[in-house]
Amino acid sequence: MAAAGGKTYSFKVVLLGEGCVGKTSLVLRYCENKFNDKHITTLQASFLTKKLNITGKRVNLAIWDTAGQERFHALGPIYYRDSNGAILVYDVTDEDSFQKVKNWVKELRKMLGNEICLCIVGNKIDLEKDRHVSVEEAEGYAESVGAKHYHTSAKLNKGIEELFLDLCKQPRRFLTLSHTVMRALYNTTSKRHDGDGSGRGEVKGERRESHKHSPERRTDCRR
Amino acid sequence: MAMLTTLVCFARVVCLCRAHYVTRLLLSWCMNCRPDVQIQITMTNMFLYLDKRDTMNQRSERRGIHVDQSELLCKKGCGYYGNAAWQGLCSKCWREEYQRARQRQIQEDWALAEKLQREEEAAYVSSHSSSQTQPPQSHSQQSLATFSKFEEKKTNEKTRKVTTVKKFFSPSSRTAPKKVPPEKESEKQEKEEKLQGRRESHGENLLRDLKGIFTQPWEMASPTEESHEGKAPSPSITRQSSIETDRVSRDFVEFLKTLQKPGREVHKQSRGFIESMGNKKDLSAEELSECVQDFYQGMSDRLLNHFKGSSEKVDRVMDQVEKYIMTRLYKSVFCPETSDDEKKDLATQRRIRALHWVTIQMLCVPVDEEIPEVSDSVVKAITDIIEMDSKRVPRDKLACITSCSKHIFNTIRVTKNEPASADDFLPTLIYIVLKANPPRLQSNIQYITRFCNPSRLMTGEDGYYFTNLCCAVAFIEKLDAQSLNLSPEEFERYMSGQASPRRQDDPAAWPQSGSRVNPALSQIHHNLKLLSNLEKRQQQVTEGAQNLETELAEWQDSVAREVQEILERYPLEIKPRASAIDAENVENDRLPPPLQPQVFAG
Repeated sequence: MAAAGGKTYSFKVVLLGEGCVGKTSLVLRYCENKFNDKHITTLQASFLTKKLNITGKRVNLAIWDTAGQERFHALGPIYYRDSNGAILVYDVTDEDSFQKVKNWVKELRKMLGNEICLCIVGNKIDLEKDRHVSVEEAEGYAESVGAKHYHTSAKLNKGIEELFLDLCKQPRRFLTLSHTVMRALYNTTSKRHDGDGSGRGEVKGERRESHKHSPERRTDCRR
Repeated sequence: MAMLTTLVCFARVVCLCRAHYVTRLLLSWCMNCRPDVQIQITMTNMFLYLDKRDTMNQRSERRGIHVDQSELLCKKGCGYYGNAAWQGLCSKCWREEYQRARQRQIQEDWALAEKLQREEEAAYVSSHSSSQTQPPQSHSQQSLATFSKFEEKKTNEKTRKVTTVKKFFSPSSRTAPKKVPPEKESEKQEKEEKLQGRRESHGENLLRDLKGIFTQPWEMASPTEESHEGKAPSPSITRQSSIETDRVSRDFVEFLKTLQKPGREVHKQSRGFIESMGNKKDLSAEELSECVQDFYQGMSDRLLNHFKGSSEKVDRVMDQVEKYIMTRLYKSVFCPETSDDEKKDLATQRRIRALHWVTIQMLCVPVDEEIPEVSDSVVKAITDIIEMDSKRVPRDKLACITSCSKHIFNTIRVTKNEPASADDFLPTLIYIVLKANPPRLQSNIQYITRFCNPSRLMTGEDGYYFTNLCCAVAFIEKLDAQSLNLSPEEFERYMSGQASPRRQDDPAAWPQSGSRVNPALSQIHHNLKLLSNLEKRQQQVTEGAQNLETELAEWQDSVAREVQEILERYPLEIKPRASAIDAENVENDRLPPPLQPQVFAG
């Protein structure tokens, strides 16, 4: 966020979704334009960056993959703190993964307020014949929670470019959004320093927020 | 090697001149700068002693004293006993020695400062005509004010300390000389104030400020302090750390030289900040963090707006600033006493230790440690995460985490033959943390969160790995039966140590799981198997031996019985033998009479 004052904008986007819905394939397709390829040059597909040029502005997009297994669900807040956008991926052939997305949306709204930019992505549309989540249901839901909906296929390379481009096209909105979000977060979580209105306050508040998770967890595990 | 030989020769020469302390200094320099040549230095030391002994033997007046005894004496030959902690000097000589070294360091720093001052003046002259002049005067005065305040506080502290010392020692005649330090201190303070009152030129300010930098704030005026109170800190430790901080300071100055004017500004600000932090030791960790973060923010804003630097350049400068500041502040702000970091460290450490039984299978880690390259990378990852604790700068610590993560990615790629996703990465990282049990994990995480430059922590790749580490720690803290796919009872039993997950497998599965977990364990298992085999065989042997024994006994019996039977069946009868040979010749009578000799007339 410190870089926002310069010419380059940094954006952090988290990828959320159950395991096996194709999060990794999605980013690999986007950043390397490869699918299930043995010659993928990257060592890892959990943190990828892409430099974009959108209407004359340099944008550094950082895509953070998250562990989708159920047991890591509680760690979500640590990942998506300070992010500018969230991509929620589900598998169109898997009804459960769509329910998971609904849970994520609820949680994100609760933690980061109502203005966080969410993109709901139905992946694997190449398996249309096995579709278990209807298009109407998904798009209707997305609209009801104020999120954008995309249909993608990492295998056929459909809709992915569009998804990420759309995401980056509102940099200014993202920026102000994330500041507001952080401010909100900051005000709700740390009452001690509510007088601080400086630009860094959001960041600090956010950091403090992250510390506060650990004690709660500790009590959890004692039970 | 050639250099070492010269060193040895030099040591000999110097030793012959009996200026031992120079040699000592030389040696201590070697010790500090080149730990790898320590062995050779010990050899040099030996030469030194040998030489010394030779000279001693030549001088007859010392003959009465045993050589070992002479080793105990002060190396400067003042007649008092020396101490190994003071490099073989007596307390008095050591103090002199130490002060001299400090003095020399200060002089070096002054020389450096003067160089800077000349540049500053040159820049000042050139920029004087231009209208764009920042108000350096007011700024330096402000910093001076804090400096003198700090000095005052220091003096007060010292006076207090001295009076306590006075109280401890009985109020005898010794009190009079003891009073000297506070007086001297107050003199010094007066001098400082006078100096301040005089409003020296800009350059002089800088000079003194620089002096302030190169002697650490909490060590300010330490030479006098040490000489008066004899409170010299353990030289080896402080020297080591001061060498490191000095190196960082020098690097920092070198780096800032390339920036010219903004560089000086940055330098001044950083120095002022460190001084002000010296006063804030009582603050809580969060407040300290806020101070540092405010400073980072102010500095980068200033660099961006005032000096119109590009964001990459600003980031580079900020990295250097962070390195400089945090190296200096590390000791006072890492795991501070005001926080409960240490308690958390211990809790985490205990927790990880209690979870030693967690296996790769439970965490679903996609790593096959039987592949040599994989186990190699696992070891490297563990080393890296442990090494994190030894770094001072938050960014260096982050670099350790990143390097650890890279090794983890390598293990996954080798095992699965595809790029690692977060689904694979996080469990593996958790596994690595459990295996490594890194020292002071919580303290390090808190330190990084508090004092790292936020722009790096929030968005970059390092930030991602750091976030994952935080996740791993959070997961370990709240880890329960469900997250390992175990029943609560099983989890309870494993946690309490009543059962071990490896035992419950059927014996056939034992060897595989054992070898995957640990080569030592598999070795033990192998040995156990061998032993049980041996035992079985031994039993067989004993059984065989017993059988043989009974068989033998039976055989003996049967033989005896047979013999008996035969004996019974054919009893031995011995007929009495005839007493004379002819006794039995019953028919002798019927024999014709023996031939009689007949005489034939012839």
